[in-house]
Amino acid sequence: MALPLILIIVLLVGYPALFSIHMATLNKSMERFVGFENFTFLFSRETFWMVVRQSVVFAVTAVVFKALIGFCVAHFVHNIPAKGQRKWRGMLLVPWVIPPAMSTLAWLWLFDPSYSAFNWILEGVGIAPVNWLGDPNWARFAVILVNVWFGAPFFMIMYLAALKSVPEQLYEAAAIDGANWWQKLWYVTLPMMRNIIAITVLFSLIVTFANFDIVRVLTAGGPVDQTHVFATWAFKLGIESSDLPLGAAVSLFMFPILAIAAIFILRDINQRGNEA
Amino acid sequence: MAVARTSMKGDRRKAMIWSYVFLGMFVVFFLTPPVYMLITSLKSNAEISAAVSPWWIFAPTLENYVELLSSPTYLTFFRNSALVSILVVTITMLVSIPAAFALSRMKFWGSATLATGVFLTYLIPETLLFIPLFKIFVFVHDLTGIELINRWWVLVILYPTLTVPFCTWIMIGYFGSIPKELDEAALIDGAGYLQILTKIFIPVALPGIIAATIFAFTVSWAQFLYPLAFTTSADQLVLPVGIITTLIRGDVFTWGQIMTGALLGAAPPLIIYAFLMDYYIAGLTAGATKG
Amino acid sequence: MATRKFNRRRFLKATAAASTTAVFAPYISTSHAAGKLEVGFWDHWVPGGNDVLTKMCNEWAAKEKVEIKIDYIPSQGNKNLLTIAAESQAKSGHDMLAFPTWWPADKAKELEPVDDVMKDLISANGTVSPLMEYLGKHGGNWVAIPATPGSQIKGPCGRIDLFKQHAGIDIQKMYPAGAPPDKALSDSWTWDTFLVAAEKCHKAGSPFGIGLGGTTDSVDSMGALFGSYGAELVDAKGNITVNSDAVKQVLEYMKKLVPFLPPDVFAWDDASNNKWLVSGKGALIMNPPSAWAVAKRDAVKVAEQLWTFPTPRGPKGRYQPYLPFFWGIWKFSKNKSAAKSLMRHISTRSAVEKMVAASQGYDIPAFSKLNDFKTWAEEGPPKGTLYNYPPKPGQILSISAFPAPPKIAAQIYTQAITTKMVAKCTQGGESIDKAIAWAASELQGFMRS
Repeated sequence: MALPLILIIVLLVGYPALFSIHMATLNKSMERFVGFENFTFLFSRETFWMVVRQSVVFAVTAVVFKALIGFCVAHFVHNIPAKGQRKWRGMLLVPWVIPPAMSTLAWLWLFDPSYSAFNWILEGVGIAPVNWLGDPNWARFAVILVNVWFGAPFFMIMYLAALKSVPEQLYEAAAIDGANWWQKLWYVTLPMMRNIIAITVLFSLIVTFANFDIVRVLTAGGPVDQTHVFATWAFKLGIESSDLPLGAAVSLFMFPILAIAAIFILRDINQRGNEA
Repeated sequence: MAVARTSMKGDRRKAMIWSYVFLGMFVVFFLTPPVYMLITSLKSNAEISAAVSPWWIFAPTLENYVELLSSPTYLTFFRNSALVSILVVTITMLVSIPAAFALSRMKFWGSATLATGVFLTYLIPETLLFIPLFKIFVFVHDLTGIELINRWWVLVILYPTLTVPFCTWIMIGYFGSIPKELDEAALIDGAGYLQILTKIFIPVALPGIIAATIFAFTVSWAQFLYPLAFTTSADQLVLPVGIITTLIRGDVFTWGQIMTGALLGAAPPLIIYAFLMDYYIAGLTAGATKG
Repeated sequence: MATRKFNRRRFLKATAAASTTAVFAPYISTSHAAGKLEVGFWDHWVPGGNDVLTKMCNEWAAKEKVEIKIDYIPSQGNKNLLTIAAESQAKSGHDMLAFPTWWPADKAKELEPVDDVMKDLISANGTVSPLMEYLGKHGGNWVAIPATPGSQIKGPCGRIDLFKQHAGIDIQKMYPAGAPPDKALSDSWTWDTFLVAAEKCHKAGSPFGIGLGGTTDSVDSMGALFGSYGAELVDAKGNITVNSDAVKQVLEYMKKLVPFLPPDVFAWDDASNNKWLVSGKGALIMNPPSAWAVAKRDAVKVAEQLWTFPTPRGPKGRYQPYLPFFWGIWKFSKNKSAAKSLMRHISTRSAVEKMVAASQGYDIPAFSKLNDFKTWAEEGPPKGTLYNYPPKPGQILSISAFPAPPKIAAQIYTQAITTKMVAKCTQGGESIDKAIAWAASELQGFMRS
């Protein structure tokens, strides 16, 4: 009964993944085996190292902020009376529901050089307009901001579920012991949520690291390739410049971080298996 | 004692008020882009290019909606998206329900490894696979003459790789929570595996199945990379790629139409979500509460 | 009798279908016997620019009894280049496709020679410029024919009022409609004059909008500037020649110009400069008349002040940025004769004239006898705004990355090496030598086989 599942995984995930390793060792026209030439070529390029740095900065910053915002917002929702929670939760989850390619278009329009609605407000209060997508640092900020906007609700909903599963007695006991809110957070909430925080952060790290649509739609890697991440750069090289092997080589660099994350997650699953 | 309690109540009140304030701020942050989409979609091109207040509609018009909904191109994108998503959801369910059943109940050689493998598959992003897949499709075409590139149904083949692992995983969780005694009793009564699945598992795990369906639908509706890499003709495109590549027309700005297109494109998942929010959230957080 | 009736009815049906779907239809299919033809044209930016072409194709299809399927493929987001790359890899797709600039050359080996068609077109429509020959002819064979839709010149489009007021230049006097340019004024229209005007307009709060992003408008503007200074990144033999005095001169020039441009030009795409002009904020952009066409629709007050005129002159002459499109037939096509027949049908003088009119003068045909249509003289407001848009004697049509070998040039063009060099030594704050060294290393990468 699991045969179709195995077929899908082997044919459309396993085989291409292995094939990409093979591809990365071929020359541009894919007629000749060149060993590690594609990789040494990449290592010699300034742009490659820029992409490595940007991918890491992008993924780590975005995930940290997603987790922080998700955590805070989950607490705020948890604090208000249960009756109104559903409504707030519903509104707060909207960014996660809209297909990111579509919502990024709205951001693109909000950041537009000539018609930026944000700059319109800034000008209204007397602040100089911000060069949202034209300045490298602002552009990096913009792609991270949009990613945080899109991903934070997911964390919020996960943490909210976790918060609800923390037994109320623990807080009552802590209150009797005279714990302040900070101590309650540190000694009760965080330990209880440790697992779920770890899992969501790892998951999100993988997804964010492999992000494509937001960067592609918002900046397409510009200005001067300074917002490219692995996926968008691989697309640019592989599909747009018809250098499939080089593109494959670039995307393979996502593999190490995925492997590390996978090991952590596997360990967690095994632990859970043992506990159960 | 009484004093302490009232001060605690006061703290709670304060915390609640602050919570509302911050929630309000976050809602503004979270809802600005969709609201701005709506505002722009109701403006005429002339009003947009006049650069008057972007946050206010002076002369609301539905012309963008009328134009898009009467455009065969846009309706083709919609149809393709709907077809792909419905087919993918169907395939996903047909594959992952039996697989989850097998993995959670029939202990066979390698079943534990397979369960882990399913989970790991979910961790391999499509951004790693699109380039080799592109070349593989070319090979397939050379060998068999079957055209895979630039055909919308190639997405029906590809999307399950994104949906099946996670859906199987959710379902294993739901199936695992069904007491073994239930199917043992059924077995004693002479029921086969198929009957156990259809009579016991599917009805009991229905909330999980709904959650997985919503998940599969949203993923296939939102996917961007595969259609961008594998389809190019206007009649083969799905919504996200169609809007981004054909509504943004370079020199001529049609931002009213683009925002309308994006909003309409986001509508189906939003509508489903509005009605089935609780299932959706239950599915998303399936693992969370158990951790 | 019966067959004639059948034919006429079929024709009526076809034309009816054509007229009802003309506005939005990406593809028209009429069922006919003489095979099937899938065509991918460039998706025109000027509103209504596709309709005439669709209509002509359907007429042809009805006459030749060919089932035709037309796709309009936009160039935004490099969609057209993605399509070319995908079809070339997959060896399947459209029969006939629009190829911009360097792409006929890049895919020369995969394209069907069209010398027979080209010979007839030249004898009917006049010669083509050496640039077109360079781009379209390979190994002695024409691999694609010049296409009218989309072929464009990206000279300046300026504001008559703002130029007069702030820069003290009367562009209508310099390049009048219906008369040759003012000798003295047009002679002094150089890149140095351009710089002074840019500074004055910047001071007055209406900067020039010259994009320095990665899309064609930005790349083409830089191409003309580089060309007019004789700055080549890679020479015709494939040697890297970016480290030259001419290139340094251009970068020095851009270091002076960039402070007078809007700060976000590095993120501009093909639409940004149009928005800049249409919103009334800018005094000049370098773009074909689509910006003016949009202004005419959405902001008439701005449109009335717009005037299209030639590019400034550099040490090597007056280089006009030209972005030509070609139509080519893939070798894998199964209906090459039909494709060639369609090529002829939509390249006649009357066909081209109709397309130019539909594009409101945007399209610039490549053939010498086709540069005298009434459209350019008559379009307005202001009347004659496009008179100086088509190429005139003494101007050199140029393309970015010329004269590098096509495979390399194509990458210089798509990777926007010229604008990135400018960005590095202006916004990036790097030295000119460092920007050149970076470009040299990138160019090295393009030599990969």
